[in-house]
Amino acid sequence: MTAPAEVVRLDGLRVHLGKRDILVVEEFVATAGEAVALLGPNGSGKSTLLRTAALLIEPAAGSVQLFGARPRGRGERARLRRRTASVFTDPTLLDMSARGNVEVALGIHGVSGSERRRRAERWLERLGVAHLAGARPHTLSAGEAQRIALARAFAVDPELLFLDEPFASLDFETRARLVGDLRELLAASAVTALIATHDRGEAELLADRLAVLVGGRLVQDGPTRQVLEYPRSAEVASLLGHALLTPEQVRCLAPRVEARGVLAHLPPGAVRLADDVEPGASRVPLLSIRGAGGRVQLVCDLGGPATFEVGAAHIAGRELRPGAMLALAVDIERLHWLPDTTR
Amino acid sequence: MDLIFDAFSEAWRLLRTGDGDVYGIAWRTLTITGSSTLISMLIGVPIGLLLALGRFPGQRILVAFSYAGMGMPPVVAGLVVAILLWRSGPLGQLGLIYTPGAMVIAQSLIATPVIVAVTSTGVMALPPALRLQIRAMGAGDARYLWLVAREARLPLLVATMAGFGAVVSEVGASTVVGGNLAGETRVLTTASVLEMSKGNFGTALALGLILLAIVFAIAVVLAAALHRMRRA
Repeated sequence: MTAPAEVVRLDGLRVHLGKRDILVVEEFVATAGEAVALLGPNGSGKSTLLRTAALLIEPAAGSVQLFGARPRGRGERARLRRRTASVFTDPTLLDMSARGNVEVALGIHGVSGSERRRRAERWLERLGVAHLAGARPHTLSAGEAQRIALARAFAVDPELLFLDEPFASLDFETRARLVGDLRELLAASAVTALIATHDRGEAELLADRLAVLVGGRLVQDGPTRQVLEYPRSAEVASLLGHALLTPEQVRCLAPRVEARGVLAHLPPGAVRLADDVEPGASRVPLLSIRGAGGRVQLVCDLGGPATFEVGAAHIAGRELRPGAMLALAVDIERLHWLPDTTR
Repeated sequence: MDLIFDAFSEAWRLLRTGDGDVYGIAWRTLTITGSSTLISMLIGVPIGLLLALGRFPGQRILVAFSYAGMGMPPVVAGLVVAILLWRSGPLGQLGLIYTPGAMVIAQSLIATPVIVAVTSTGVMALPPALRLQIRAMGAGDARYLWLVAREARLPLLVATMAGFGAVVSEVGASTVVGGNLAGETRVLTTASVLEMSKGNFGTALALGLILLAIVFAIAVVLAAALHRMRRA
């Protein structure tokens, strides 16, 4: 069996903003059919990586190869871009009808007039916005506009899709629906996708592989489930919503667990609110509650603050206030110790 | 008050009868300013796009020049063109001085920086992500420029109006390079100034009213085009 073809290859990449390196990547490869999520906080370089791979940013050093070719010259770059499609956070629709937007993209790809219209209408229908075919961008909601941007991207039948936080500006409900639709579209096509996101849930739903970027550097790259469960460092663990615990804090939750490092982490699903009478549940004081969207962070006092992330649904109906005692049930099998990097 | 009333009466009579070649002068004004606006668009829009989208050394200086050019006194533009076209000047053998051709050249010199500055500013004001999206769709250079210009069509229309406004109302350059020759290079502004200097306020006012009517009619046409573009 032959290995899947390399669709994107970045080698020794450095991208500057002024005199500052904003992205340094030794090696990054995406193969045919893969959906790779680039996860990182704001300013981590994920959009820069995406745009460099999309041949929209010229790196200061290193090479970018798309479909095995290293583009030389503007014409070749445009030709390679025509094998890709990009969707940005802002839908960036041209000031024309929704159908016109899809048709322009198809026109660039050399699709003829009648076929253009047919394909545009088919993809608008597939994204559930056929009734908006004649609508202008300023009359659309953010969710509708993003659906049209997705229709425009898929209509050209790209081999490689760049999705730069396409749902970041949408409300929770719209976002959840669109992520579901996109998941189906990706599953139904053979397209390779690079998806920049700062949302762990999106990455989990959409990608087979997860590349984590922090401070313009690729700090972990692997199968999505593996990276989510086994972050390699405290900063990645924290970014992925893991609770970081000292050995003393671990003992507060599970007195019989032996310390095997200076810091342990627990993935979000490994902690849940329990009933007071539940055997094995630990009672700990709640210091504060934080959160947004579908996630809630409970900061508890375990001889020092420790933050546990739970789904919003788990706290529904509970009266949680700072100072109250919480019963936490911990799936201690999912506790992992981080290597001590200070040695 | 009598002076004003008499002036309006005379203006009305001239407009009604067409005496004093007012409509001939008006037509000449339209053809000369129309030609210079068209030439300025053909030169100014590509330069404006280049200044907004390109990256090359000296770009900022060129942008600053285009802004400075917006304030160029017409008489200075006229003087430069007159020196070039003067019979003993470097382009004297063309025999253009005191012809409508010379006026078109001088007026183009006035309108081009206006069109360059408004075009480049309008294109620069487009969301950068939109330009990036057009590139990301795989557009080659020609289609990229076309789509960007299409997105900037309102600023381009404003550039046309600004360029036309700058030349239709100027007197200095037309006088210097045209010479205000009756039946040849006399346009509404130079004729109006001449009639004023002779004390013929009615004729001057009639010419002024025609000039205003032309500007207003063109503004209405362009505003209608603008409205249609926004709905298209």
